Amino acid sequence: MRLKLFQDSVMKTLCYFAAVMTVAVCLGIILYLVIKGFDQLSPDFIMTEPNPTFSQDNAGGILTPIVGTLLLTFIGTLLAFPWGLSSALYYTFYAKKGKLRDTLSTAIDILAGVPTIVIAIFGLAVFTNPFWGFLSSRVEGVEGISKAFGRSFWVAGITMGIMILPYIIKTCAEALKAVPPSYIEASYALGADKRQSLLRVVIPAAKNGIITSVILGMGRIVGDTAIVWLTLGGTLRMTGLQPWYSPENWPSTLQNTGSTLTSYIFYTSPAGEGNMPSVAFGASLVLIVIIIVLHIITDYISSLGKLRDEE
Amino acid sequence: MKSNKRMVKDNIFKHILLVSAVLGGLMIAFIFVFIFIKAWGVLSVSGLGFITETGFSEQIRDSYYLAAGEQTWFFGTKGLFIATLLTTAGALLLAVPLGIGTAVIVCEFSHRAIARMLSSVIRLLASIPSIIYGLIGLMVVVPYIKDSFISPELQIQYLYDPIMRMQLSGKSLLAGIIVLGIMIMPILTALTVDAIKAVPKSYKEAGLGLGISHWRVVTKILLPAAKSGLFAGIILAAGRGIGEAIALSMVSGGISNVPQVAHGGVFFLTPVLTLASAIVNKSEAMSVAAIESALFSCGVVLILTSMLFSLSTRLVERAVKMK
Repeated sequence: MRLKLFQDSVMKTLCYFAAVMTVAVCLGIILYLVIKGFDQLSPDFIMTEPNPTFSQDNAGGILTPIVGTLLLTFIGTLLAFPWGLSSALYYTFYAKKGKLRDTLSTAIDILAGVPTIVIAIFGLAVFTNPFWGFLSSRVEGVEGISKAFGRSFWVAGITMGIMILPYIIKTCAEALKAVPPSYIEASYALGADKRQSLLRVVIPAAKNGIITSVILGMGRIVGDTAIVWLTLGGTLRMTGLQPWYSPENWPSTLQNTGSTLTSYIFYTSPAGEGNMPSVAFGASLVLIVIIIVLHIITDYISSLGKLRDEE
Repeated sequence: MKSNKRMVKDNIFKHILLVSAVLGGLMIAFIFVFIFIKAWGVLSVSGLGFITETGFSEQIRDSYYLAAGEQTWFFGTKGLFIATLLTTAGALLLAVPLGIGTAVIVCEFSHRAIARMLSSVIRLLASIPSIIYGLIGLMVVVPYIKDSFISPELQIQYLYDPIMRMQLSGKSLLAGIIVLGIMIMPILTALTVDAIKAVPKSYKEAGLGLGISHWRVVTKILLPAAKSGLFAGIILAAGRGIGEAIALSMVSGGISNVPQVAHGGVFFLTPVLTLASAIVNKSEAMSVAAIESALFSCGVVLILTSMLFSLSTRLVERAVKMK
């Protein structure tokens, strides 16, 4: 008996140890980034363009990587959100229980489990087809072989959209399922048809869940490196017509390559060609701040939902 | 007339939804087909040799420097398979005890405010991008391994090792295991917390009512009842580990060695390359058709594994529902 009690308390202590380790690792990572990255942070670092050079002082800042991250998030969400929400509506309110629905939801589950690196090479395989040449630039082959370059903001953004699609579908479907059936019944009773009930009653009621799902999707895009590295290329600067920020050059910017915060970190880390860890830490700090802000927003929205439920 | 128009609109709306749902469902098939077509060149030449032969790094290098006609389309990825299995298994060994331990504390043995803070920290950890784990692994874990386990004599000795020559730099299987373990631990913890919370309260109350100590209730009642959720979590975490490309390509070494048991402890210091990180690592050589096809073949293997994993989590979930 004594021995058992002793064993129990040892195990319990080990569990506490595990919890402390977890917190220590998390705080350790964030503190380490803050300490290493804080010196680097300045309005200048954020507002200037990166400059591929060997000298640390002329390395420039992370303006174009930040813009790149925003662009990809925007394109990806713009593709995945309407697509995902309408699929979720179909699964939740139209699909009859049966083979079709089972197959589709299994397919979505599998898609959610596919590593992003695989989705990245899929994007590359599809968009190097000359048919999609308008999304990137065309490479004129020697013997009349035409091939698209397959690396651009459009391509990477669309691939990102495909990557987050299954998550958006799943989380939106959950949000839609949580709407009480009485809402729809009430709407039917007032003479609305299914489309009107869904658009005017169910979606507004599931608003918080849907917004959370989109923000989670954005977080995944912001944090992804594999897709960026393969489908946006490893260039630091915007490679379209210069200056990239003037509106008449936007189409060209989107058709060409650039970088995001994640690919900038990869490039400037000792694993990439830049090997300037200090700027990589600066960019990491900015990245983690973006992630934490997205996190706080979702927490806030879900706390709104809880408050309403308790009333 | 008016109601007729409404019906048409309703119908169109329904069909738009149907098309988007079906397109979403077909996406995985598109992905598989596109990748398989590109992979066929290497897979058809290599056959079973693709998984039973070694020497991936050397084959990539040879293909890169040979002229277009002379390239070999034969690639052997045994080293990549072994490295993928070892890193994922090692990471799970590290993360499963830590994850379950933390989850138990969060669910059962902490004050509500602390539990809330802990689960927030865990979710934050789960959403830290893998590139940051990779960067920290490269800047902290790799130098640590190099300083504490690798002496210059050891480096020289292994440059001329009779079994397998390699350059020990700290980027190694061990670094991969540690970084991957830290990466998948929060996911595992979060899923375990969900699984424990899903156990009906009455189970716990019945146990406590019988006079069993709180700890015993957790280990003998709650965890066994949450078993299927735990399994699903472990499978998911394993899937994440197998598919992790960026962080592992940064810390694990990038050479397709097969770690040798005969090396003793140096087994863990061997630089390795996993299937997913091979695609990132060698992506710059993709302009060569044979290499492109070889990397897509790695993609095919990754898709098949992830399919297997997703299907088995579904089976586990279904088995629970049946019960």
